[in-house]
Amino acid sequence: MDVLDTLKKDWQKQDAKLPKLSYKEIYSMLLQKSSSIVKWIFIISVCELLFWVAIAFLVPDSSTKFHKNMGLESTFWIVTVVNYIIFAVFMFLFYKNYRSITVTSTVKQLMKSILKTRKTVRYFVYYNIGATALLLIATNIYLYFNQEKLVQFLSQTSNNYGAVSPDEAITIFFIAQFIVGVIAIGLMILIYYLVYGLLLKRLKRNYRELKKIEV
Amino acid sequence: MNKELEHSFVTQLEENQNIVHKICRLYTNDKDSHNDLFQEVTIQLWKAYPKFRGDSKFSTWMYRVALNTAITLYRKSKRRVQTQDFEGVSFKIKAEAYDDTVEQQLKLMYDAVKDLNDINKALVFLYLEDKSYREISETLGITEVNARVKMNRIKEKLRTILNP
Repeated sequence: MDVLDTLKKDWQKQDAKLPKLSYKEIYSMLLQKSSSIVKWIFIISVCELLFWVAIAFLVPDSSTKFHKNMGLESTFWIVTVVNYIIFAVFMFLFYKNYRSITVTSTVKQLMKSILKTRKTVRYFVYYNIGATALLLIATNIYLYFNQEKLVQFLSQTSNNYGAVSPDEAITIFFIAQFIVGVIAIGLMILIYYLVYGLLLKRLKRNYRELKKIEV
Repeated sequence: MNKELEHSFVTQLEENQNIVHKICRLYTNDKDSHNDLFQEVTIQLWKAYPKFRGDSKFSTWMYRVALNTAITLYRKSKRRVQTQDFEGVSFKIKAEAYDDTVEQQLKLMYDAVKDLNDINKALVFLYLEDKSYREISETLGITEVNARVKMNRIKEKLRTILNP
């Protein structure tokens, strides 16, 4: 007899050695909470979505005042509206993809729908990082060509302004903007890679294995 | 929650619990993880149960949900030992393969199966459960031909472990 048939036979005989849970024990499990990867992905994704919505909402007063003084108010208003429309589209796609995750689909389909849901949030994050960077660059270019307005604004609002010359103030202003921008975007990318790298590593590996079978 | 639904679910799972235990055995390495995974499978089965129409057998439906949980949904705990590629383990086992008693052979086979990656393990599991290639392909979401080809490769590998 082939050794694999022996294995198959032995495999089917193992029932007696398996643990046996009682009705009560199984019933008590129904009351427990799931800790599946989908649940974590959902929680983290919602946090991410809320984080960016909150950021968009929590524009400080000083910033609004600054934009008003610099003549950027209407531009920022349009940017905000467009931003919210894009947010809504992403939320819809996320919800739609999340709903398509079902544990009764095939192994491959389940992995596919989880990765697709994650992709929606990933593109949402890319969009936000990209839009933030673009807005920062565009604003700074505008400010660079409208330095008189900027000097005027800085002299009105900052107490320490008199301590340095206008040229120096401008230089400090732009360097500070640049450093803060780079640190903020770098930090976001780092957190992003850490969280998802860990969460999706096994899923991605298994998905690759499954696809390899089909080649 | 509907008491009747709960009762019919728990009764059916109690009857068919061996399927889940076997999957837990393959995908975990100690009692705690085994229980953890069993619980997660139970929760996932229960969540999906209201949509279970009964057009397939309860056990058939269980295979899919339980494997999906073990492979994809279950968060690997630290206790769980890493699986490695099949090619990597054959050398390790070769040295011990001189004793050719049936028990020894079986032990080697079980060790080799446990060392397979998550996907191949699912394939072998369904094969050992005497599922047809059609069922295997429908559970995993690959074509029947590909399931057969892959399974033949794994079988070949398992044979070389015993007859190096």
